[in-house]
Amino acid sequence: MWYYSKNGMQLGPLSTEELSGKARGGEVSPSDLVWKEGMPDWKPLAQVPEFQSTGGFSNPPSVGMGSVPMQQPPMYPAGYAPGSVPNYLWQSIVVTVLCCLPFGVVSIVYAAKVDSLLIRGDIVGATAASQSAKNWAIVGVASWAVGIGLYLIFMVFIAAGAAASGP
Amino acid sequence: MHKDRALWVSLGVLALAGAAYALRETGGAGWMPGCAFRKLTGLECPGCGMTRGTYALLHGRFAQAFAFNPVGMILLPLAMVALGIEVMGWVRGKPMPFRLNPGRWGATVVAVVVIVFWIVRNLV
Repeated sequence: MWYYSKNGMQLGPLSTEELSGKARGGEVSPSDLVWKEGMPDWKPLAQVPEFQSTGGFSNPPSVGMGSVPMQQPPMYPAGYAPGSVPNYLWQSIVVTVLCCLPFGVVSIVYAAKVDSLLIRGDIVGATAASQSAKNWAIVGVASWAVGIGLYLIFMVFIAAGAAASGP
Repeated sequence: MHKDRALWVSLGVLALAGAAYALRETGGAGWMPGCAFRKLTGLECPGCGMTRGTYALLHGRFAQAFAFNPVGMILLPLAMVALGIEVMGWVRGKPMPFRLNPGRWGATVVAVVVIVFWIVRNLV
């Protein structure tokens, strides 16, 4: 079951046949975002393999030309659309601002590399940078959690000490 | 729509609201550990001032909040909105059609701004 996004509205669900019918009819354009359960993110219709094998998209009928297979110019000629590999930028910002250790900054730097690498077509590098951004964010959160844990233990000992030595 | 995910998110929002309320009443003094980086090195990290800033914000003192950590006060709300959209997508089992994606340059600018801010605030 497919969902698609058109003029800011999310529509569907449709079967593969229905959606490719709409694509042939021009109701859904190759650049419209589509998604089905199991896909990590929305993708332009033209980049989804299911709809590439149907023989391309037809132009709206133009004068005297009939139907011509459309040459869809890829939006990112050399590479992949930003967002096809998660960059974890927002997560790393939260980690940086709230965890007070430089791990979050390392995570932001890797996050910033993800989209640049994607546009250059380096999906392997982008995936590696994405993984590094994620790992450093986790290191940041984990060190923060350990710090909080130690702090709480410390506070409990102080309180217990104060209670034991109290009057 | 995943009910278990909605439950976890509700619990998380409740915990955040509780923490915000506690911070608003106490200013965080005595129960928040403070910045580990600052304690270890004596330098300020990019997040230093966010507790004081949030406290000021919760009392409606926007200018003061901004003065404690200008970069964090801009980036954290943005990140919260962006992650809120992601979490909504996660709860309903498919990504939201609208998301905040800073793109290639946006992400690079954020990284540069954070690092420059980190250096500059320790020099000034």
